[in-house]
Amino acid sequence: MKPFEYISTKSINEATQVLSEYKQDARVLAGGTDVLIELRRPHAKIPKAILDISYIESLNGISESDGLIILKPLSTHTQILKSDLVRKYAQLLGIAASQIGAPQIRNRGTVGGNVMNAATCADTVPPLIALDAEITLRSNGGSRTMKLVDFFIKPYKTKAESDDVLIEITFPKLPSNAQSAFIKLGRRNALSISRLSVAAILMQDKKGLISEARIVPGAALPTWMRVKEAEEMLIGEKPSLKLFTAAGQKVSEVMISYTGRRWSTEYKEPVIGVLVRRALEGCVKD
Amino acid sequence: MKKIKISTTINSKKYYLDINPNVTLLDLLRDELGLTGTKRGCEIGECGACTVLINGEAVNSCLVLAPQIDGKELLTVEGLMAEGKLHPLQQSFMDHDAVQCGFCTPGMLMSSKALLDENPNPAEEEIRTAISGNLCRCTGYVQIVEAIGKVNK
Ligand SMILES: Cc1cc2nc3c(=O)[nH]c(=O)nc-3n(C[C@H](O)[C@H](O)[C@H](O)COP(=O)(O)OP(=O)(O)OC[C@H]3O[C@@H](n4cnc5c(N)ncnc54)[C@H](O)[C@@H]3O)c2cc1C
Ligand code: FES
Ligand code: FES
Repeated sequence: MKPFEYISTKSINEATQVLSEYKQDARVLAGGTDVLIELRRPHAKIPKAILDISYIESLNGISESDGLIILKPLSTHTQILKSDLVRKYAQLLGIAASQIGAPQIRNRGTVGGNVMNAATCADTVPPLIALDAEITLRSNGGSRTMKLVDFFIKPYKTKAESDDVLIEITFPKLPSNAQSAFIKLGRRNALSISRLSVAAILMQDKKGLISEARIVPGAALPTWMRVKEAEEMLIGEKPSLKLFTAAGQKVSEVMISYTGRRWSTEYKEPVIGVLVRRALEGCVKD
Repeated sequence: MKKIKISTTINSKKYYLDINPNVTLLDLLRDELGLTGTKRGCEIGECGACTVLINGEAVNSCLVLAPQIDGKELLTVEGLMAEGKLHPLQQSFMDHDAVQCGFCTPGMLMSSKALLDENPNPAEEEIRTAISGNLCRCTGYVQIVEAIGKVNK
């Protein structure tokens, strides 16, 4: 690696101070599983400074408050998959975390890094969007909070400025009548950086009719979003294979309406439909 | 480039180091500290040959920036032996022919050490998950899984 200055801090204020001085010349480092690989690329753009935020304790941990789950950005995928709060109130997020990379990557990689890197295949993003997550960014100028779904412009491009630190992710706890699922298809089992994935949440009323549905595909659309056209088909209906198959077909149609037909469509079109169907089936198991 | 002062514990030994920040933990262990038991494979987090434990957790040392071990406790394969005796995992790998060329072995040992510390009697599925980030081009994994499963039996 080419030389750079290394700055480590234990305080958020100091971190934003450093970033406001260095702007584009500094790079935030959390678990490093994306950053280290980038820094070692043959023609990598090496920043003047690496700002290590991994020692900021207030940016770590998973807690609850007023019906919300508060997920701090330094929480690792291992912490997420072991969290009782996640298991109870955000099952699909735990499933996604448990399938990321291998143990070594999950022990190091953080949810904040996953979100901020904004790779097409970022596995925590579809579940977090399905959970209606909000994020809070802090810079020297102050904090701002936005819906995660509005944060992404396209893969690897977000609305974050170079001096922003992600300080918090929050989402409402899923109620007890909600069930959720996350399914991904990778090219290889263990370390697969996921290709297509689907996050789904269904809620059923006392009669067993679907009262709320959320479907967020990963790596299928130009950016992450809920597929409302498919969700609406499910509301007020009784879960059935036929219904879920139709919803899957709708998601394929929507995908093609955005991306057009290209070389990968022949594969993705049927596969995304099946993944949606399976994810929905995963939401009605007792 | 400014050097960074760090203090860390590696295999129960305290180190006070003055290091260049632009090296990985893998570089530091092998090139500066002579701990070459940790192997350099892919250097992109895929093969697990460089696995060490930081505060008890298995990580790829090729993806850790060296200054990030400040204040941490590390274990490398060199720290497994105690009082001149092989660690039970090492003995079990030998007893079950889980070593062929041996290149993956240090990483395999560290991943399985992390597993057994948390879960002394893992099911086969749990063993396979624990070593899913460690590639072996020789054994086909069967002997390795067996060796890990039999350690505490
Ligand atoms: C072998 C391998 C397998 C992988 N498999 C998967 C997989 O299956 N699924 C998947 O989704 N990902 C996978 N990844 C990618 C990566 O591990 C994850 O994206 C991880 O969550 C990144 O977190 P990190 O803390 O390591 O990020 P870092 O590398 O530290 O940072 C990533 C980016 O986010 C920025 N950043 C980090 N934290 C903050 C913050 N709080 N505020 C502002 N900016 C911040 C950094 O500046 C950088 O741009 C894999 C990586 C490897 C090497
Ligand atoms: S050398 Fe680190 S994972 Fe291959
Ligand atoms: S024994 Fe040769 S790579 Fe595993």
